Amino acid sequence: MSLRGDAFRSVDTAPRVRRVAPAYRVVSVPAAIALGSVGGIAAERSHLPWIVGALAGVVAAVLGVLALPSIPTRRATVVLLGLGGLIALRHASYAGVDRSWLLVIWAAGTMLTLVLVDRADAEVAPVLEGGSSLPNRLTETARVGALISLVVVVTAVALVPTVTNRLGRHVWPGLQPTIGDRADATSSLLSGDQLSLTSRPRLSNSVVLTVDAAHPDFWRGETFNVYSSTDSAWTNSLGDDPVPDDSVTRVGTRIDIAPEVYNRSARDGKEFRQTFHVETTYSNVVFAAPSARAVETDKQVIRKPDGTLRVAGADIYRGLDGSDSGFGKGAVYTVTSRSLPVTEVALRAPAAVATPPQITQSYLSVNDGTTTPRVRELAQQIAAGATNRFDKVRAFESWLGANTQYSLNAPLSPSGVDVVDDFLFHTRVGWCEQIASSLVMMARAAGIPARLVTGFVPGSRDSLTGRFLVRERDAHAWTEVYFPGIGWQGFDPTASVPLAGDAHAGGSWLSDARRNAVPLAITISLVILLAVASPEIVAVLRRRRARRASWSASALHRLERAGRKAGRARDPAETPREYALALGQRLGDDRLARVGDTLDADLYSANGAPETDRADADSVLTSLRP
Amino acid sequence: MSQPPPRASGDAALAGRGPGVALRGSGAVHQGPGDLTLTSIVLFTLGAYGVAAGAATGQQAVVAVGVFAFTLFGVGIVWPILSLARLSVSAVAPTDATVGDALELRIEIRGRAARLDVRALDPSGTWWRTSAPTDGHLPHTAARRGEFRSVRVQLRTSAPLGVFVRTRTVRVRLPAPIVVAPRPSVAAAVLYPVPDEMFSVGSPLVMNGGGDTVRAVRPYAPGDPARLVHWPTSARRGEIVVREHEPPPALGVALVVDLRGSAPEAAASRAAGIGTATLAAGGVVWCGTCEDGTSVGEMVADARDLGRRLARAAPGFPAAPPDGWPVEEVQA
Repeated sequence: MSLRGDAFRSVDTAPRVRRVAPAYRVVSVPAAIALGSVGGIAAERSHLPWIVGALAGVVAAVLGVLALPSIPTRRATVVLLGLGGLIALRHASYAGVDRSWLLVIWAAGTMLTLVLVDRADAEVAPVLEGGSSLPNRLTETARVGALISLVVVVTAVALVPTVTNRLGRHVWPGLQPTIGDRADATSSLLSGDQLSLTSRPRLSNSVVLTVDAAHPDFWRGETFNVYSSTDSAWTNSLGDDPVPDDSVTRVGTRIDIAPEVYNRSARDGKEFRQTFHVETTYSNVVFAAPSARAVETDKQVIRKPDGTLRVAGADIYRGLDGSDSGFGKGAVYTVTSRSLPVTEVALRAPAAVATPPQITQSYLSVNDGTTTPRVRELAQQIAAGATNRFDKVRAFESWLGANTQYSLNAPLSPSGVDVVDDFLFHTRVGWCEQIASSLVMMARAAGIPARLVTGFVPGSRDSLTGRFLVRERDAHAWTEVYFPGIGWQGFDPTASVPLAGDAHAGGSWLSDARRNAVPLAITISLVILLAVASPEIVAVLRRRRARRASWSASALHRLERAGRKAGRARDPAETPREYALALGQRLGDDRLARVGDTLDADLYSANGAPETDRADADSVLTSLRP
Repeated sequence: MSQPPPRASGDAALAGRGPGVALRGSGAVHQGPGDLTLTSIVLFTLGAYGVAAGAATGQQAVVAVGVFAFTLFGVGIVWPILSLARLSVSAVAPTDATVGDALELRIEIRGRAARLDVRALDPSGTWWRTSAPTDGHLPHTAARRGEFRSVRVQLRTSAPLGVFVRTRTVRVRLPAPIVVAPRPSVAAAVLYPVPDEMFSVGSPLVMNGGGDTVRAVRPYAPGDPARLVHWPTSARRGEIVVREHEPPPALGVALVVDLRGSAPEAAASRAAGIGTATLAAGGVVWCGTCEDGTSVGEMVADARDLGRRLARAAPGFPAAPPDGWPVEEVQA
């Protein structure tokens, strides 16, 4: 008897909760993927673990699709997708690290959501009697998704470069930076007259520049030629003033730069354009692949004697508004460089011309007497077997690679100690500045003109946009060596230096917190998700339990399922018998009337329906299965 | 359903020989090429903003997002248009119906479309979902009186993205016209004696025997009912003879249906009611109408014939009734 009572309750008196049609429930899956991925991108942009944003997006999608009873599911879904699209647009340019795959997932999720939500809408309409049924949802979604993806990819490949190149600006003023922006800027982006080796650089993961370029290069910022062993700092004796001749010629926004003296690449090299997008709040260095010959910008640019470029007046207080004339966030400038491919054979070949005295004076003898004797001895000892400049520099690189290690956590040299000497003979652990400085000093000790260059490595290439993402941690220092008849040639000794064992150790409390934040965020999100979904889960479990408990509940569920598939859902006011009868008329199946009778008998008679009737009803319901 | 060329009711496809009133229907008939949805607005906004912002700043990823949204927008519009453009529809309808009857049109949709809604128009009915190619039964209501040689079927799809709801209205030529008779209004039979000359012997309209007047007697033939045996004459003649009666006088009415007026449908219904009741009571009906500008007056064989006559009736001069017939004039 209790069985009968349970069945009765399960059918007619179970609490009615808002039910989302199964077709719409499926929509929540791609919607969660789309919003989760875009949330991940946004989180990266906000310097949070991407998983936190992803989970927030997933929760928003699930709630939006399944738990907003007052808004039609389709409308709620489309609005959510629109918001997701705006977030994607807002954060599409970069996300701190290369999260283009998240953008691709967002696009795929959005597309599939649209397909499924439209399909769900179509399933609401009643089925044409005798007509063909809709194709399988999964098959249709996969087929349509693949086809649209193909169209999207082809269109994107065809249009994006065109739109960007034809309509896209290569020069853009960006935001006007303030004095405060300049004060907050990282030193890598500031034109300065000194580079100290006694302070540890600040290298966050923030993107500072994005670069459109055909191929990767070192984005050169400044050079330094004078090393002070007492201060352990580099300066540029050539000064920061513009070259007092017609080295800079402006026509509109294009500024032609005269080639650097004694640099053949700058005169005869092949042209190479790069468009820099300033993503940080301030920069007054005009970065460029060597050797810059033209800059397109709305700023005034100065070519310094060493061939590097900076924004004019950027170091002067500009007025009462507190603005500065450097590049602000969003600024875009384009540099045309010339580069001459040089082979090792050419670099090893005896020079046809002598090193110009200006080069020798500025980059070789300028530090006479500042290098410690043992550094000079070491350099001569390493270069002993080499017969030309190239081999000597390679020998220095090899030695550095074999005897030193790279670490940003290397101990700072004591005050008053020559950092290069300390690095080469004591710590042998340092970062790019120590390593490149050592190469410069060893090269000079071997009679080779060299200088220290600062700038950025190319950065990682965004797989979607093809743009190089240059982060603060990509700041770098390397060495340029002068070859008579050829010009300045870059060498990156850090590349051959292995990482120190503790290179990845340690870290700030913030990074620790971030590492722990991910599992914490996952846990919190799961708890929230569970709390939100628990009523629905409980309802599902109850229904399943009820179905297991009684034949009538199970049969009615099967009947309702068949009806829904036939486009005739059960009206809440319909009794099982009425529903079976109506469904039978719709499907032209008289047997369903008997099923309704059996259901009624099982539900409301004292002894339930006879087993034979139940079996008959079961066979009818089984035959309804498509 | 339509009867080309539509006349009295302008462009309404269901216009018969007179203006009719749709009895049932749901929703307005969509005449445009389709509707943009909220999704289209969202995608267009994203696309325009993305391309404009990306082009302005040169940020390729923003352009890519914009192009993606624009592509979905474009595909979402073009796909449904192409899907429906490739479909062709044929239909078969029952040949007779009465206004208000629920019919089933057998439609066949050729071509390929994964998702499709279909409904009959005039009046616009419920949307039914299917996919093409398909062959199914489309419920419809015969809403207006007339003879229709085509039906209007509307196809709709927003697949696959729901950006644009493309609607296409197809006029489908029927292999055999459907004649929708007016629904008879409740009326009493009109039975007056009518002249005999209208009927020839053997006509189904003539009641063979059964009258009160005895015409003659004749020898019994197998099958004659016993009640007709004339016993006195049989006794006198020594053989069984039976009475032969004159046929009873024919009763009926001449319906003159003049639909020139403000309520032709009501008049047609009234005429149908009178005619049907008269026929049901065993009377004969002559019906005078105007069809295609020509006055037509003929005897009506049965209720179906009457319905067909009235379905074709249009405003105009009805045929004059035959001499001597009782006339029931039905004026619009």
